[in-house]
Amino acid sequence: MNESDPQSWLADARARLDESAQSLDAATLSRLNRARQAALAQRRSRGLRGWWLPAAGLATSCALALAVLAWYPPGHPTQRVAPAHAPVSDAEIAADDGIEFYQDLEFYAWLDAQEQDSGG
Amino acid sequence: MSTITLELPRELPRQTDRSMADTTNQRALDGFLKAIERRALRMTELATASREEALDLVQDAMFGFVRHYADKPQDDWARLFYRVLDSRINDWYRRRQVRSRWTGTFLRTSDDEDDDPIVQAPDAADPGPLLRLAGSQAALALDDALRALPHRQRQAFLLRLWEGLDVAATAAAMRCSEGSVKTHLSRALAALRRALEDHQLEDHQ
Repeated sequence: MNESDPQSWLADARARLDESAQSLDAATLSRLNRARQAALAQRRSRGLRGWWLPAAGLATSCALALAVLAWYPPGHPTQRVAPAHAPVSDAEIAADDGIEFYQDLEFYAWLDAQEQDSGG
Repeated sequence: MSTITLELPRELPRQTDRSMADTTNQRALDGFLKAIERRALRMTELATASREEALDLVQDAMFGFVRHYADKPQDDWARLFYRVLDSRINDWYRRRQVRSRWTGTFLRTSDDEDDDPIVQAPDAADPGPLLRLAGSQAALALDDALRALPHRQRQAFLLRLWEGLDVAATAAAMRCSEGSVKTHLSRALAALRRALEDHQLEDHQ
């Protein structure tokens, strides 16, 4: 260390640090090299993944769409769901009024004809 | 005589350009990490006082840097790499603090290795990188003086004056203000100068 120059100790310190970094043993340098290669390999594999993933996703979507079309072709009958306000069938009316209505059906027809005749 | 022209698909040049750019980027990354790895290891070794721990932390930092920042402009790589490394070192300090708290509370026994003078004796076969190279007490004194500094002061000194980052890049790497970097650096310089001058005086006596 040179006392005449106030910055010389700093230059000495830097030089010694440089020397220490350059004099690392072979085993340490080998491990550093492996660490670096592994980090870069990670990037390479990620790059490949980045290209293949969208392609694989698109292929899967297409395959799913084809499978759905194969199972349910456009003309395939599907189960229908009754609308909330569907028209009431005769059977349902019969269920509500009972079987007597059908037993007196001829009487109601005659009564209807009589009313038409008297009105006309 | 008729000429045949071949029309290449439009995507081919684009793919080739991209792969060439990737290859160039890989080479630049490799060169950058190669240039920086030794100093990064020494910095981490000074912080952890362990070659093995330092190697693990530098490897982690390389992975983190490549994963997150490899696509950033090359001018920013140094500060980003040291930012990742500084983060790893801080994590290591935190883990060690928690571990030492637990071991200090529950696991300390009378035959603890810390009390064993044979275990604590310096390894004569491994005098450390500085001493091994320079073979001088000055190199060992510098190592000791740097290890004795608080972490933030040591990082400010090493990043700014050894690695050569400017104040702004050092602040970005250390995640602090430029004013803090100047304060840490000023204190580090004063402490180092005092320690190394004391060592010099001891040598002269």
